[in-house]
Amino acid sequence: MISVTGGKGGTGKSTVAVNLAIELARRGKLVLADLDVEDPNDHILLNVELQNEEPVNIMLPFVKYEACIKCGACAEVCDTGAMLLSPDKVPYVIPRLCSGCRACYFVCPTKAIVEGKRTIGYTYETPVNVDDVNFTLVTGMLREGEEHTPPAVLQAKRRALSVEADVYLVDTSAGTSNSVASSLDGSKLVLAVTEPTPLGLHDLALILELAKEMGLEVWVVMNRSGLGPEDRHERVVKEYGYEIVARIPYSRRVVDSYVKGVPLVISYPDSEEAFKLKELADRVWEVLS
Amino acid sequence: MKVAFAVDENRGLDSLISHRFGRAEYFVIVDTDTNSYKVVRNPGAEARSGAAIKAIQLLIKEGVRKVYAGSFGPNAMTALEEMGIEYVQLSGVPVKEALS
Repeated sequence: MISVTGGKGGTGKSTVAVNLAIELARRGKLVLADLDVEDPNDHILLNVELQNEEPVNIMLPFVKYEACIKCGACAEVCDTGAMLLSPDKVPYVIPRLCSGCRACYFVCPTKAIVEGKRTIGYTYETPVNVDDVNFTLVTGMLREGEEHTPPAVLQAKRRALSVEADVYLVDTSAGTSNSVASSLDGSKLVLAVTEPTPLGLHDLALILELAKEMGLEVWVVMNRSGLGPEDRHERVVKEYGYEIVARIPYSRRVVDSYVKGVPLVISYPDSEEAFKLKELADRVWEVLS
Repeated sequence: MKVAFAVDENRGLDSLISHRFGRAEYFVIVDTDTNSYKVVRNPGAEARSGAAIKAIQLLIKEGVRKVYAGSFGPNAMTALEEMGIEYVQLSGVPVKEALS
């Protein structure tokens, strides 16, 4: 399993992931897992419609009022504030705040909490066929208004890993949250995509810190290379004991392929940028085999 | 009857009503029967999640029947209605002015 991440939003994680997926799929059987569940968009970049929907359900507590002794233990243990005690100490559940952790269920001394369920999102398994290349795209998507991302991330990841393949490529969300850590967990290699900007540098340091803490191997990919100075990025990467393994030049062609909605390695297969991505795919493939 | 006012800076009855409810720093709780008041810290101010619910739990514990703040989120409004606590949208004015 290989992950594409980077800390900052908008550095080109999904662009790198999608192009890399196509190149890796030429070499072996691949599953691309889009775990940016709050805003998955690899399917848009690949121009496919999501298929084979399955719900992501989490536990939602219901209260059996005749069994409730009004002890308040459920509200006390609730970490997200989803359980409110009324003036006469009867628990009242606020579904949207519930993360489905079951703590109330376990702590209730009279088994007055009944396990119900709630759908917070969906996973999809979509066959992709572009430029005579086939692979499977697994996508996690949170329902609008939901805030508990980890269950959707984990379920989509499980679904991706249940598909037989030689390579699993994970595309994470931006940031360094629980969800990103859950996405990265188990990666043999992490590709951290950054850009030569101060904010890119700042967020790169955060993701390198997280990866280091998780004991993961990181390769830094400098996207939009040439846009600005990279010496400070280089220093930071070196400090963490990692390396910038690829520089993808900033170019009009990348923007153009994005506008057309056709991944770069297909729309401009002979460009310098596509060459860098293919080279990266070769190096990744080497690590895997 | 006990009435609560969400405030961010504790200046007793001169405190200005906050524009927020769940994450306001304090509640000034006035007992209109005895004309007395007290100021309590809002546990919701530092909550990671469900701030408004933690604030409401405090109001229930204190026996509050009515609360003033600048705005209430959807979770807060639903829960306040369920718990039979009246809520009023008002901010930027001193507590004593809202009382009169």
